[in-house]
Amino acid sequence: MKPGKKRLSLEAAHDRWGWFFVAPGIAFFSIFSFYPIINAFYTSFFNKKLLSLKAPKFIGLLNYEKVLTSPDFWNSLRATAVFTVGAFVPLFVLSLLFAVLIISRKKFQGSLQMALYSPAVLSSVVAALIWLLIFDPRGLANQAVNFVANTPGIDHKWLADQTMVQVSTIIVYVWKYVGYFTILFVTGISKIPQSVNEAALIDGATPVQRFFRITLPLLRPTTVLVSVMILIQCLKTFSTQYLFTQRGASLGPINVLTLNIYNTALRDGNMGRASVMSVLLFMVMLALSWLQLRVSRSGEGDQ
Amino acid sequence: MKGQAGYSRIKSLPGSVLVWAILIACCLVVVVPLLFMAGASLMPAGDIMKMPYSWIPKTWRWQNFYNGLAGNDGTWLYLRNIANSLFVSLSVAFSTVALSAMVGYGLAKFNFKGKNVVFMAIMATMMIPFETVMVPLYLIVVKLHMQNTYWGLIVPFLMNAFGVFLMRQYFITFPTEILDAARIDGASEISIFTKIVFKNSGPAAATLAILAFRQQWDNLLWPLLVTQSEEMKTIPAYIVKFAAEKSADEGIMMAVAVIASIPVFILFFSLSKYFLGGAAVYSAGKE
Repeated sequence: MKPGKKRLSLEAAHDRWGWFFVAPGIAFFSIFSFYPIINAFYTSFFNKKLLSLKAPKFIGLLNYEKVLTSPDFWNSLRATAVFTVGAFVPLFVLSLLFAVLIISRKKFQGSLQMALYSPAVLSSVVAALIWLLIFDPRGLANQAVNFVANTPGIDHKWLADQTMVQVSTIIVYVWKYVGYFTILFVTGISKIPQSVNEAALIDGATPVQRFFRITLPLLRPTTVLVSVMILIQCLKTFSTQYLFTQRGASLGPINVLTLNIYNTALRDGNMGRASVMSVLLFMVMLALSWLQLRVSRSGEGDQ
Repeated sequence: MKGQAGYSRIKSLPGSVLVWAILIACCLVVVVPLLFMAGASLMPAGDIMKMPYSWIPKTWRWQNFYNGLAGNDGTWLYLRNIANSLFVSLSVAFSTVALSAMVGYGLAKFNFKGKNVVFMAIMATMMIPFETVMVPLYLIVVKLHMQNTYWGLIVPFLMNAFGVFLMRQYFITFPTEILDAARIDGASEISIFTKIVFKNSGPAAATLAILAFRQQWDNLLWPLLVTQSEEMKTIPAYIVKFAAEKSADEGIMMAVAVIASIPVFILFFSLSKYFLGGAAVYSAGKE
């Protein structure tokens, strides 16, 4: 009994070292994650101005009322939704298609992935800057489209037109991230056991049948994960829109939520209202993450 | 196409040619803007905005790079901003690896009370995107008088939950017998961590370091918030300011973009497996 007891106390002493190693993490995440998110909720109920010396006043739900009744906020919500949906569909479809095609190749799988991934290496600002020149009235975008559509000399107003500028930001984003999500799909598809596919081959299934009946259903954990990652990624978009507006594109059509939060906080100094928008953005993202957890859990239950 | 051996491969010749054609065409479309950037960085502005566009520079304008570094007003501010980006990104990469390894090790190899609560709490912070807490973070930085300093740029990114998760997963498989043997030999817990555990965290540390470096290299929003003076800006903020000037020369603009991309492309071509692997690992962490 005695040696056992001694070992136990030794182990307890040893386990206390766990606290020592974990302590920096507890301190860091308390200060830079938990405190700020609580503070965002708290500030959203106060009349807090960035440069004001007066103590912020509690104003209840007034900030929420102001934000939810302002056309500016609803426009941002619309811009964010348009961007998110507009980027989600091509990103999802193209990256899945590329992954399936790459997996079907015997050779050069690595090189193909590297080529598609290469734009993701760039900074977002650099990516937007390259496209800024391509979208110039005299730039490559007009030349390419006019060449394909055989409509010489037409300016498609990539940055000047209210609708086109939204399309342009989406193109930049899809271009930059398609390779990244292709790699995620390639990893997911290569995890599917080959025996299932071989059995289907023996039964004479066509490649299209195999894709819809085998690959897609078995890929569900990856498709759910990638979908949510794309959505969350799109909700956070900032650099492209910021650079485009700084170069003179009109703010309205591409005033996404993050850009609006930035402008409300820094340009207007209205911390209360910026916090309200942060809280609302947080709720949406939390809901998405929760959805992802739920769907992936229920998927496990099925098997 | 059907009934042939082989896994999900299209074996017929026309089918195969078609797939290759699609793949090569798409890869070209993806790579072309990068080639455009490289080519345009060596052209006079008049040649870039010309129809039809010629891909190879007619006159090689190396001067663009000199002008890009010197800036429109010849203050060489860009050099200072590049140094800022390098310093901030390297510091964050280093501290993320060191601190995440420490916390990950504590969570992987010790059985203290409340360990699971700590682990779950840290994982929960992954649900808090930076964009939703940037306003309160900014207020914290203002309160700590870290505005417009390297501290302000670095401290909020000293470590992250994903890093802790990655290191913990990595250390769980580390043989406990080796740690116990070192303890019997009288090694202190700290030296066990630094000399045995941390030294063997190579691949996970490299993946994490590259991820952290790139995130800061790309970061625009936070430096815009916390820096006021031009000297403290980082590359992305400099580029926006440079491009926003109406008189900016397009060739020099692309030279500035190329300069900003060189470090990450060197990393990419020398350590591509950590880039591509990192993407997969990152998604696994969220799964």
